[in-house]
This record gives sequence, C-alpha cells and structure tokens, in this order.
Amino acid sequence: MEKFDPESTFQSTQEYFDLWLKTYQATLGRLVEMPAMGPAREKQEKVMQVFSSFVNLHRVWMESNTDLQRVFTEAMRRVRERTGDKFEGEVSPERYKDFYKIWIETYSETFHEFMKSGHFAGDMGRFLSHYLDFQRLNREVMEESYLKPMNLPTKTEIDEINRELYSLRKSVKELRSEVHQLSGKH
Amino acid sequence: MNELAVMEDYEKFRRGAELLLNHPDFSVGTTPSETVYTEDRVRLIHYLPTVKTPHPVPLLIVYAMVNRYYILDLQPDKSVIKKLLEEGFDIYLIDWGYPAGADRYLTLDDYVNGYIDHAIDTIRERSGQGKITLFGVCQGGTFSMMYAALHPEKVKNLVTLVAPVDFDTDKGLLHVWAKSLDADKIVDYYGIVPGDFLNVGFLLTDPFRTVIDKYVGLFERLECDPGNEACNTRNEETVKNFLRMEKWIFDSPDQPGETYRQFIKDCYQKNLLIKNKMVIGGKRIDLKKITMPLLNVMAEFDHLVPNDASTPLTGAVASKDKATLVFPTGHIGIFVGSKSQKEVCPKIAAWLKPRSLSEGAAEKKAMPAKRKGKGTISPPRKKK
Repeated sequence: MEKFDPESTFQSTQEYFDLWLKTYQATLGRLVEMPAMGPAREKQEKVMQVFSSFVNLHRVWMESNTDLQRVFTEAMRRVRERTGDKFEGEVSPERYKDFYKIWIETYSETFHEFMKSGHFAGDMGRFLSHYLDFQRLNREVMEESYLKPMNLPTKTEIDEINRELYSLRKSVKELRSEVHQLSGKH
Repeated sequence: MNELAVMEDYEKFRRGAELLLNHPDFSVGTTPSETVYTEDRVRLIHYLPTVKTPHPVPLLIVYAMVNRYYILDLQPDKSVIKKLLEEGFDIYLIDWGYPAGADRYLTLDDYVNGYIDHAIDTIRERSGQGKITLFGVCQGGTFSMMYAALHPEKVKNLVTLVAPVDFDTDKGLLHVWAKSLDADKIVDYYGIVPGDFLNVGFLLTDPFRTVIDKYVGLFERLECDPGNEACNTRNEETVKNFLRMEKWIFDSPDQPGETYRQFIKDCYQKNLLIKNKMVIGGKRIDLKKITMPLLNVMAEFDHLVPNDASTPLTGAVASKDKATLVFPTGHIGIFVGSKSQKEVCPKIAAWLKPRSLSEGAAEKKAMPAKRKGKGTISPPRKKK
C-alpha cells in the first residue's frame, strides 16, 4: 500500500486550483469582467462584480488554507519527532494522556510561531479584506434586487436614520448642557 | 491498573456531566451596588461601601469596552471590587452596556470627553470631592490616560492596570495582527463591529488551548471521591467558576464602529498616543499633561497587552510621584488569580490609601476646630 504523504496530496490540490484559476481567468473570467450592456446593465454589472469578488475570495481562501495545511503538517512532524517510538505497543489511559500533553503543547507552539509571523497577519488581512468586499457587494445587490422592490427597509437606509439620530442626540446633549450652565448663572 | 484509570476518567466525566445537568447557579457580579447615573446605554454603578468611613477620594473604575466589567467581580472569593471595598475605597464603575443601532457613530470623543467626563462630574457632585482616582483597566486604562491628559484638573490619582499605551510591539499577537486589518472596510460593512468578530481573534491567540484543552482540563480537575461531601462541594465550585469564566469570555459586546475605527487606526496602526499626536474632539492628547500620581500595574506574562506596550507610560508622563508594579500573572490572572487577592489588590491599596485623602486634608488637620454650623468646616475626627 502506498505510504500517505500529506505534502504531495496537498501540492496536487494546490496545483489543481492554480490550473483552474488560470483557466477561469482566460475564459469565464474575461466574460465576467466585460462591461455590461442593455437596460439592466447596472444590475448586471453589480452581479458580475459579486461573482468576480467571490472568485477572488476563494483564491485568497485557498492561499490561506495552503499555509494552514503546511502548519498542520509541520505540527504533525514535530509530534512524530517528539514521540518517536515512545507510544508503540499497548495504548493505556496514562500513555494516552502523555501523548495528548505532547500533542497539545506541540500544536500550540507550532501554531503560535506561525500566527506571530507577518505571513499569517498578511493572510488574515487579505482574507478579511476580500471577504468584506464580497459581503458588501452582495448586500448591495440584495438591497437593490430584493429589498427595495419589496419595499423593505435596507441597512443603508437604517444607517442614515441612525446617523441622524446620533447627530440629534448629540445636539440635544449640547443644548441641555448650555441651558444647565445658563440657569446655573442666574 | 488500566481498568482503574479508565474508571477514574469515566467517573470524572460522569460527575462533571451530572453537575452541569443540575443547572448550577453561577451568578456573576454579585457585590451589592446601585445605579447612580445613566446616559444612553451607559450606566454609572456605585458599589455599596463595606466600611463605616470610606476614604474621601472616590475611585472610578473604567473597564475596557471589548469585554464585560464583571471580570473584576466574577466570583465572591476572587473579586477585585470586593477586595478594594474592604480596603476602604468608595468605588464607582462605568458599565458601557451593549452598543447597538445609532451607537455605531459614537466616537472616542463621545466616550472620553462625554461619558467618562459626565460620570466623573456625577461622582464629584455626589462625593463633594473636586478630584477622583481614575482606575483604568486594559483598554479602559488607555481611555483613562486620554482623559487624565485632557482633564487633569479632575483627576487626583491615575492607576492603570494592564493598559496599553505604546502599541508598536510585536510581543503580542493582537498587536501584530492589527497592523494588517483594514479597519475602514470592517466598520463600513458592519457599522457595529460584532463581538463575535473580536472573540474569534481572542480565541486564535491560542486556539488549541482555548477550544480543546480548556474543556479537557475542566473534567481533569474534578476530584473523584464518592460519598465525600467536601469533595462534592469543591467539584461544584470548580464547575461554577469555570462557567463564570466561560460566560465572561463569550459575553463580548459589539463595538461602536467609529470608536473601533479610530482605536485601531490611531493606536494599533499609527501608534499616535505615545507620540503625543493623537487627537480626539479636536484636542491633541499630550501625555505630559499627566502630572498627578501614577501607578502603572502590569502582568509579567500578559499575552494580550505585553509589558512593552504598558511600560512606556511611566516615562511618558510628567508626574513626579509615579510607580510601577509587575506581578507574575497573566492578563486575566491579575483579576481572578489567587495573587489578585493576596498581592495585587493589597499593593494597589497600599499605594492608593495615603493618596486618597481629600484636598487640603493635611492643612485641615493643622487647623483649630471651629463651631459646627452651616458653612463651617470641622477638622476630621482622629481615629481612636
């Protein structure tokens, strides 16, 4: 039976995705990025932007996943190194607890090293940025295509009301303070 | 031998499950208090004194917004609030509440020059004292520094507990990650930044311990002695205390967007505060305007606010009377660990007590006693 090599399996996944992305960018991607035409061009362009944003999000997610998989592989390697042949043979509760202790310490240390790196911060920042781009565009399409036609309040409208409410509250507080100061003087 | 060990583990799990299924009462924040002022979602809490004559200068605790304040009063036997009350302090605390809706537009100016200032004015009016002790914890400590620099005339003493001032460090994961955050996108999308978003960040600082090992450890700690009432009581307390901490960890309020935006950009990313370049409400914060006595307290093994982020405060202020205390605890351990009751609170109290006399108390002691009546000042009675 062929020995399982996580590195090679993972590399294959990555290569497959890279190939898919290149093919997408050369074919469907070009259609998606094409300027829209016709009476529904505004909505169509928005929907295409959402699709494009989703592909970008997926790309960034794969990149982050790649890095995470590498860290998991490294953590597994370190556990193997630390345990050696200590746990061969009969598995007892005490020995399982010892293994668990090594496992949790090794994984914690390995992930901490990775998370402390600028690499993880960059991965996380990029993923979050693309995720928020996608969510924002998606919400705009939902508001235009569903909520507004159904005469339901949208987040944009509620935010406008909240902004007005905040501004009014602040003005009332300032006026109340002035009145209090003026009445104190008399 | 193996069978016994398996039975013991099973018994621990069974006892733990049984205790949880009995719906234990794990109330938090039980120290008696009253609400003395409210403004929007914010309320000012006054803890009922437990001594006959509290120290004249009242103490206002400003906790962080990212978590709930009751970590300082989590368990009756490990309450910072209770301990400070026993030390004779007159304690107030700001409860920020749970921001929602229109709160997304609240700014740092609204919090520091608004809510904190109004709370302090309320305390000054109630106590008759011109100045108060400002006790800032974590992010609340950063707010307290800002306030003390902008309104030094109202602050008698400043105590900061695990509070960051210099955010340019790579010793803490949050400091490293925050530099890559696009705060504008986060706030423009969410408005009110979800508490769960911050929770994920906190969990990621040590995911295997916080998501797996913590729960394994709960059952491991349960002693196993059938028929022993004292053992059962200890187990029950272990479970209750775990549930209290669990409640606090996941009780993260949502964050007002504009406050979050400025805090991330100006503090974590541009590090303007320690450079004396931060501006709130159109006013620049100059830490050299802090001239009142300062006590800067830190936790040596703090992974959330590393010492590198807190230490510089002592050198940045113009106070002549200043001290630094470092305790061998973690960020949360400094509030709820055993050292909190035995060392942290007593040492803070020892520093604060002689500085909590009312203004001119020394001069009053030297004055001859006058006839009591309207508008007459009587010297303080000597303790027997």
